Amino acid sequence: MNPDLCVSKEETARTDAEIAFADLIRRLVKGASELKAIDAGEIDAIIDPATGKAILLPKAQEVLLERKAHYRSLVELSSDGYWEQDEHYRFVSYRGTTIGTAGIGGGEGILGRTLWELSFDNMSEDEWQTHRRQLEWRSSFRDLSLREVGGDGAVRGISISGEPMFDAQGQFKGYCGTVRDTVKGMQAEAVMPEAGGFVRATLEALATPICVLDSTGTVIMTNQAWRVFAAANDGVGAGVSEGVSYLAACDAAFGDERADGVAMAAGIRQVIAGGREIFRHEYVCNAPAGRGHFVTTVTRLRGDGAAHAAVSCEDITALKHAEQLLRLKYTVARCLADADDTSAALQAVIRAVCEAQQWDCGRHFRLDPVAGMLHLDGSWGMPVAGVEQFLEKSRGAVFRPGAGLAGRVCQSGQPLWMSSGSKGARALQTALEHETGMAGAFVLPVIAEAETIGVLAFASRTVHEPDDRLLQAMRSIGRQLGRFLRRRQAEDTLRRSEARLRALIELSSDWTWEQDCDFRFTKVVGPGMAGAGDILGKALWELPTVVLSDDEWVKLKSELAARWSFCDFEYAVVRPDGQIGYYSISGEPVYDEAGAFTGFRGIGLDIARRKRAEIALHEAGL
Amino acid sequence: MCAEKTRDSVSDPEVTTVVVMRLYVAGGAPNSVQAIANLEAICQEHLKPGYKLEIVDVFEHPLRALADGVVVTPSLTRLSPSPAVNVVGNLSDRSKVLLALGLEEKVK
Repeated sequence: MNPDLCVSKEETARTDAEIAFADLIRRLVKGASELKAIDAGEIDAIIDPATGKAILLPKAQEVLLERKAHYRSLVELSSDGYWEQDEHYRFVSYRGTTIGTAGIGGGEGILGRTLWELSFDNMSEDEWQTHRRQLEWRSSFRDLSLREVGGDGAVRGISISGEPMFDAQGQFKGYCGTVRDTVKGMQAEAVMPEAGGFVRATLEALATPICVLDSTGTVIMTNQAWRVFAAANDGVGAGVSEGVSYLAACDAAFGDERADGVAMAAGIRQVIAGGREIFRHEYVCNAPAGRGHFVTTVTRLRGDGAAHAAVSCEDITALKHAEQLLRLKYTVARCLADADDTSAALQAVIRAVCEAQQWDCGRHFRLDPVAGMLHLDGSWGMPVAGVEQFLEKSRGAVFRPGAGLAGRVCQSGQPLWMSSGSKGARALQTALEHETGMAGAFVLPVIAEAETIGVLAFASRTVHEPDDRLLQAMRSIGRQLGRFLRRRQAEDTLRRSEARLRALIELSSDWTWEQDCDFRFTKVVGPGMAGAGDILGKALWELPTVVLSDDEWVKLKSELAARWSFCDFEYAVVRPDGQIGYYSISGEPVYDEAGAFTGFRGIGLDIARRKRAEIALHEAGL
Repeated sequence: MCAEKTRDSVSDPEVTTVVVMRLYVAGGAPNSVQAIANLEAICQEHLKPGYKLEIVDVFEHPLRALADGVVVTPSLTRLSPSPAVNVVGNLSDRSKVLLALGLEEKVK
């Protein structure tokens, strides 16, 4: 068989179709221009007058089929499935995995079944009736949402859309449409509608007062803490609620709050305008518990939403008080370190406490351990007439332990706080009025080595109820002061002891001396050795006027080298006038804190009179 | 499909009469789509702003085509000014279309 003459069945069929069309065209088209256009391939369809219908030419049909396939692929790209139903709404074609065996609607296949025969959880019978009525009307339907809760508890969902199909005769042939998997969408929906609620719920749950501002500085959202805060406190922004301009409230601040209002308005404007990310401002205002410290923080909010800034207010009163107490402790420590004497230290400490805690005056009573009485030995007060009079009257005040406020604290070792309004014992009230004549008093023990050695008493015309932190801090200050006083007491005792010893030494010697580790004199107090010249910087054996035998020098040097104490070492010195002086020195080695030898120190005596007497006796043969 | 476009204006001194046309097409078939595009371009260039164009889909309205004596699509009929003129094909032959629409002299 000649291959060139071989015609496949397909080619033969195509040829037959073309021939059939050619016959049709010849029968229907008579005009030359029409035929010419057909030959040129510029005609899509011809109209058959007999049937009144348009008939697509094969070439156009082919292009349309290709286009249909292309559209279908686009549909598949833009959806998760493509389906077709027959005129009884039974699935006859389905491409995709969203519904049926692998997806929603039960574990079986969907072909041959209607939509309502599949398993969905969110459609009631009425809703199915409505859908079926739609189909009966041959209406297109869009995004029919169907859901199913799987055995694993997972929710699966689809969105199905369809439109009716008609054949060339206009006969209804069924529906076709697309399916979208809406699980992700549902998850997003589950999150998105709740996102606002989530934000709101989170905001409400926060203990910090927060409000959200729009671009004009108007409050568009507040939390419960803010509402409570705004209602309870004075200060800039007090009472500002949703719908109210926070900026306007800041701008309208007056009196003591004017400066705060101006600063906050400027900060908020900068944050809203994007000029800064965060703005913080501290201020003081009246709070239910008294004057409170607050800090307002304005934070820039990013995004396209209405929210431009978040304002939060924090009550930092406790923090401020803690800072004050810490500062007070530091101040007290510095006062004690810098003080030249006990009296100055006491006054500085009392003043620091009074100024930090707004007490009018403070007094320190020292416990005399011998007499067992408390004596006032330090005080400080505000330069106010009433206070000065009170302190003046306090001079010379003496309490015995157990008597009066100071006596009670001294006896118990526990701090005592009293106010004229408190329900204390009558005796204490009386003591408060009698002793201080003021509205409140705070008395605490000064303790050293677990022993009360004094009492600090503070008084004020206004009442300052101490909190736990203050009590703790004051206890610490009391112990700090106690240690200082005890140390000072010991130092004073030592100083007095040293002074007494020095006096005794001065009485028992003519001069004292000190040497370095090379036995050179470094210090001489007293007349020293007359005629020996300047001895500082020289060892005894370097002084040319000192007369001593070689043996004695050897003995002295060996004792010094061995760092032995020596006593009554006697030697003679030739004075410039030719006279001979006699001296006796005693010494002991000196060591530093690390135990290193630093030299000798000792005393010297002029023994010339005794020596001359001895010589005279010797010469007399006695 | 049955669409009509109208551009009425007598402000252009060169165009004193409105050209009324009807284009028969076969849905979205390739030559039909091309014919619409070609005619649109010609109208924009030469008939702007005064013309009326009706596009008729023979799959929807085959009888209208038969009534107008149209047996193939795409097919353009100039209804006005008279006499009626008919051009078949995808209208890619621009001069032929201009001649049929009576615009050839103006172009020259």
